[in-house]
Amino acid sequence: MSLQKRFMRVTNLLFVILIAVQFLPDKVSADTFTSYVISFAVGVEAVVLIVSALLKKPKGLNLFLDIIGFLYVFLILWTLATAKFNLLQEALFPPPGKVFEQFIEDIDQIVINIKSSLGIIIQGYLLAAVIAIPLGLFLGWSARLGSAATYISKFLGSIPPIVYIPYGIALLPTFRSVSVFVIFLATFWPVLASTMSGVLNVEQKMVDSARVLNVNKLTMLFSVILPAALPQIFIGCNQGLSVSFILLTSAEMIGAQDGMGYYVKQYSDFGDYTRTIVGLLVIGIVVILISFLFNKLQNYLLRWKR
Amino acid sequence: MSKIEIQNLTVNYKEKNHRFTALKDVSFSVESGEFVSVIGSSGCGKSTLLSILEGINSPTKGDIVIDGKPVTGTGTDRGVVFQHYSLFPWMTARKNVEFGVKQVKKNVPKTVRYKIADEFLDKVGLENFKNKYPSQLSGGMQQRVAIARALAMDTDILLMDEPFGAIDAKNRTILQELLLELWEGDGTQEKKTVVFVTHDIDEAILLSDRIVMMSPSPGRVVKEITVPFTRPRNRSELVQTPAYADFRNELLSLFYSDIGNKIGGNEVVL
Repeated sequence: MSLQKRFMRVTNLLFVILIAVQFLPDKVSADTFTSYVISFAVGVEAVVLIVSALLKKPKGLNLFLDIIGFLYVFLILWTLATAKFNLLQEALFPPPGKVFEQFIEDIDQIVINIKSSLGIIIQGYLLAAVIAIPLGLFLGWSARLGSAATYISKFLGSIPPIVYIPYGIALLPTFRSVSVFVIFLATFWPVLASTMSGVLNVEQKMVDSARVLNVNKLTMLFSVILPAALPQIFIGCNQGLSVSFILLTSAEMIGAQDGMGYYVKQYSDFGDYTRTIVGLLVIGIVVILISFLFNKLQNYLLRWKR
Repeated sequence: MSKIEIQNLTVNYKEKNHRFTALKDVSFSVESGEFVSVIGSSGCGKSTLLSILEGINSPTKGDIVIDGKPVTGTGTDRGVVFQHYSLFPWMTARKNVEFGVKQVKKNVPKTVRYKIADEFLDKVGLENFKNKYPSQLSGGMQQRVAIARALAMDTDILLMDEPFGAIDAKNRTILQELLLELWEGDGTQEKKTVVFVTHDIDEAILLSDRIVMMSPSPGRVVKEITVPFTRPRNRSELVQTPAYADFRNELLSLFYSDIGNKIGGNEVVL
């Protein structure tokens, strides 16, 4: 790619506009923390320039710049609608600088809350996967138990896990364990179901190929059936993951003492909408990052597929 | 005693309340170190026969005896190459071969198993494709890996179910010659006993010591014919000899007369 193609981009123009917009006179009385927006934008643009210089594939670069372009447009409109023209209600819609400032101020608290939320997700999710996948392999492999198990898991899986929360609160000692329990259920049934159907859909010829090699039962299950069913198992794992986030934040809003859902609920109850927005954005970023890492793992484990 | 003895094998299938006989009273034997092709049109039960030899199906009646012992299931004395799906798509070529070796030689350390895998992948000409996944290899290369695995497992018997049936004509020729070369070896080792299923007459003649001709509905053996050509065989020279043409015609007429009889008379023109 030519230098011009790399650096003469609409995204870079949008960056300049975003910075220029920050220097318009404020129309609101409160501090708008313009410098935070500028620092943030400069930071992002620095990453943009580095990526523009290094990325080899034009398609990847286009996608990246387009996404950043949308971010700039969003920030420009947000700045204009709040700080500069005061078109929206000030109390409900803080200017971007205020949100960035609040984020920095609360960073310690946010990190603690993220840790708490992720801790619960990881515990419930991993426990469910570690039990559901081997169980699904055995049940799917055993034709007779498998068909009964399919119906049972369909029934139990059809109960929305969130309705277990009141019962869970009665059964379990802490709210944290209730959250783990609910996420466990939300992950367990889809992973079990997708594992069983993955096993049932393994090509008979693939199984025969393994049989003629005279593999023993365990090798058959874990070295042949498991990888063959893995693409389908991942469907259940993905489903469990996205439901887990919805459930966890809902649960945290119902009765937790920490976590990102708690952060959002607590501050919106007090009418602190700057922090509410900070919470929403942080949750979005965390979920995106986790899905990204999960996708990387999936692509790595399924790298043998075309 | 023969290496493999197939005795009065009968297989009945039941499909939707409809019984049909895939094999009826099939008997023949294969000597140790012999290369036998089973040939016949589709539906003659040749693949069913092989699946019983492999141990993944069992007969309704009759027995298969290998080295004096009846076959009751799969075994490490037999290596198998299928037409499709022989390889595991999540394993590289090297890992596929190593996995096969591991199943027959459980006590051999991993490094040695990989060494064996490398040696056989070199033999089939895939030294530069060892770390590729099957999806990254052509159909012909995949069959090379499958052959490498079957040979690396060093079983007495090789069972091949139309291994080149899905390969284009040019590559099929190359693979047939490769298989012959590997089977004949350098004369120092004992030859493997091979049962090779095909519907390609030329392939059967080029490769085999003996041809077992089968015919459908119900699947049965029509004739066993010894291939009269000496080894090593050179394809391009062999096909030009009148003896080859005569032998081929004899097989063809057997092949077709049976189809003619089935359709309803001797006057069927093909």
